[in-house]
Amino acid sequence: MNELTFGEARHLTVRTGLGAEWGSIKKLEGLPREKAIEYILNPAPSNPRPAPYLTPWNKLEPMRDAGAKTRADAWVMAQTEGQRLQGWWIEQLFRTNTPLVERMTLFWHNYFTSSLQKTLQPSLLHQQNLMLRKHALGNFRHLLRSVARDPAMLVYLDGYKNVKAEPNENFARELLELFTLGHGNYTQNDVEAAAKAFTGWGVHPRSGKFHISGEHHDGSRKLFLRRAGNFTGDDIIKILLQNPRTAERVTEKFWKAFISDINPPRQTVVQWANHFRSSNYDIKTLMRVMLNSDEFWSERFRGTLVKSPVDLLIGTIRTIPYPRENTTKMVNLCRLLGQKLFDPPNVKGWEGGDHWISTQTLLVRASYLAKISRGNLNARVKTGPHIKAKNNEEMLEWLLAVPPLNKLPETPGKRRLAHALLKDPAFQVT
Amino acid sequence: MDRRDFLKLAGAASAAGLAPEALWAAGQQQQHNGQRTRQRKLVLVRLKGGNDGLNTLIPQFDYEKYKSLRPTISMPHHKKKIDQRVLGDSGMSMNPYMDKLRPWWKANDMAWIQGVGYPRPILSHFESGDVWDTATNAGQSNKGWLAHILPGYQKNLHGIVLGDELGPMAGKDCYAIAMKSPEVFVSQAGLFEGAQVNTKVNNPALAHLTKIQSQVMGASDELITKMRNPRQVGQGFANSKLGRQLESVAKMIINGVSAPVYMVELDGFDTHANQVNLQNHNLSYLADALDSFATAMKRHGHWDDVLVMTYSEFGRRVAENRGGGTDHGAASVQLVMGGKVKGGVYGNKPDLHRLDEQGNLRMTTDFRKVYSTITQRWLRQRNPWAQYGTLPFV
Repeated sequence: MNELTFGEARHLTVRTGLGAEWGSIKKLEGLPREKAIEYILNPAPSNPRPAPYLTPWNKLEPMRDAGAKTRADAWVMAQTEGQRLQGWWIEQLFRTNTPLVERMTLFWHNYFTSSLQKTLQPSLLHQQNLMLRKHALGNFRHLLRSVARDPAMLVYLDGYKNVKAEPNENFARELLELFTLGHGNYTQNDVEAAAKAFTGWGVHPRSGKFHISGEHHDGSRKLFLRRAGNFTGDDIIKILLQNPRTAERVTEKFWKAFISDINPPRQTVVQWANHFRSSNYDIKTLMRVMLNSDEFWSERFRGTLVKSPVDLLIGTIRTIPYPRENTTKMVNLCRLLGQKLFDPPNVKGWEGGDHWISTQTLLVRASYLAKISRGNLNARVKTGPHIKAKNNEEMLEWLLAVPPLNKLPETPGKRRLAHALLKDPAFQVT
Repeated sequence: MDRRDFLKLAGAASAAGLAPEALWAAGQQQQHNGQRTRQRKLVLVRLKGGNDGLNTLIPQFDYEKYKSLRPTISMPHHKKKIDQRVLGDSGMSMNPYMDKLRPWWKANDMAWIQGVGYPRPILSHFESGDVWDTATNAGQSNKGWLAHILPGYQKNLHGIVLGDELGPMAGKDCYAIAMKSPEVFVSQAGLFEGAQVNTKVNNPALAHLTKIQSQVMGASDELITKMRNPRQVGQGFANSKLGRQLESVAKMIINGVSAPVYMVELDGFDTHANQVNLQNHNLSYLADALDSFATAMKRHGHWDDVLVMTYSEFGRRVAENRGGGTDHGAASVQLVMGGKVKGGVYGNKPDLHRLDEQGNLRMTTDFRKVYSTITQRWLRQRNPWAQYGTLPFV
């Protein structure tokens, strides 16, 4: 009854994990579809690696007010520690036993962006990562409430400057535009009302923890999305979660991350979003609906997602254990390919899809793949990684989501074939 | 350079819908007013780190105030009668380390634009660089300003960056290549050797990938053909990284590479400390390299086809800091050169008496007015920045 073939097991592994891991594919192959999906959705808990030393907020922040010299020092510290933090996540992505958790953490990082360059607070970005990780497959309501209280976010979108005497609309605007309703579903008056409701939400200057200052909070009556009341920030979130657009927006982002760069049918979005909302925003429910859908398994959408830099750089090594580059080089490669972790280009995050590929990034991608898979390709020489696929047919099915565009090499040998497949444009999609 | 089977690749490239070699050659010539004119080129020189405008063009007309704000890092005072460094009746003088450019100033082939910036200046390198690259507020767009212009200017190759960021040419519709040097690029593009480019790909992600791959192969083929037996520049060139980059650009232009835009970069303008030495040296690298480039262009009959423009993410704080340097600022100056440039100093003199709240110069020329000028008066394209007006420097 509907047992996964090798190809289907590969598809589920690749789209929910990091790379076409042989072990995972083999574990899922032959399982009934629903069972395989439950296996993916319920990974054994595992803790992230310990973080490197990151200077705490209450040491770094005062340096910025103590004159040009210490300000410059603080800047250098933030840059150095920022790179260390990027390295931390890269190693985590390499070694994790729960690739779905990493993928979802990255998904939420791109949904609720914050950046090192704006906050200059690596330790806060690390805390934010732990928070996103905790809710990665949890509940979106709790996630949204935590994001609104997250110190890195409060700095990134200027929430900490949002006070009764001088409201700052930055967070409120993005909350409506990017995190929930989307453009066109609210007015400027709604943004102003939401900003007022969040006044006083900030970061405590000594502890660096979330803190509400009653003195700076505007407790007046607000008119928000045609409702009136003495709303607080949490009330605003509650109202936003009652609006169907919020679940639809998350669903649309799920589609672009897990199904295809081709736009989703409206009907599908509405249907999945309804499931999501009626589960009280249980993220796993949305994931389950998606993974069990015809769209997820449809041949039409195979190979229509461009691999992200993380997918390409790390996923390839998790697929075939080629000798890898060191952490510093990986951080740099991520940057060259346009995915600086903890540093998305702007509040909208990485655009992804076709935008990953330019003449410049394609050359870097090709050089990287050629370099790691080069070695000695002579089949009679025992060297390089052990490749488990048994014949050419299985190699193709394992390494590519769609048939290759280039001609296959005529000389036999699995390492040579893998090298050729990595260089094929089809390897860049999933 | 010659190691690949060129014919095989040329076949693949045209199959992918790229114009064959003959069309590229035709792209070199543009029809204009019934006359065949040569393709106009734009050469951008990015001064990375935020170049200090006030020590590049020195306000001799208000020297006392300038000296009082910069007691230890000011440039010398010149009186017009005795020193030719003062530029016309502008009241400004050029940094003495840029003397190599004085003949070009005298020949009226060089202009300065002062007070260039944008409202509500951002003092972060990254974000302000974004503003300049995209001509929008930081974070509003990922599309470079030239990506709005070049697709209409010509099909095929739009630009070549000697560096690693496409910057003003980033964007899906822009066909631009970033490279260390033409030689390195051609050897890297060899990775796609033997690639089949299927004409029919229904999958949009794969279609985009093959399109970009064809662009890389196409640009590489063009460079191989044009530079196989290149006409040499035939002169010495300033011996600096920037000099070598501009030498590459000169070589490409002389040998008929079809890209209309080239971009090079000089780093090291973030002079928080010890500014005088750092900036003077950098400006001398700049002047020497531009002098070599202009000489080469003139020698090969291309000087009237090129417009060189410098830009930087911001200028610097007017008052010096305690480290003999300056912190991030706002409005600054831009240099343009070319055979068709109308020499002079454009824009308003800096007002050292009315700074903004952070102690920065207020901008008097929006940088989009400069883009507007280049778009309309130089590249003669539909102008998205028409509302900003133009300057008559070209």
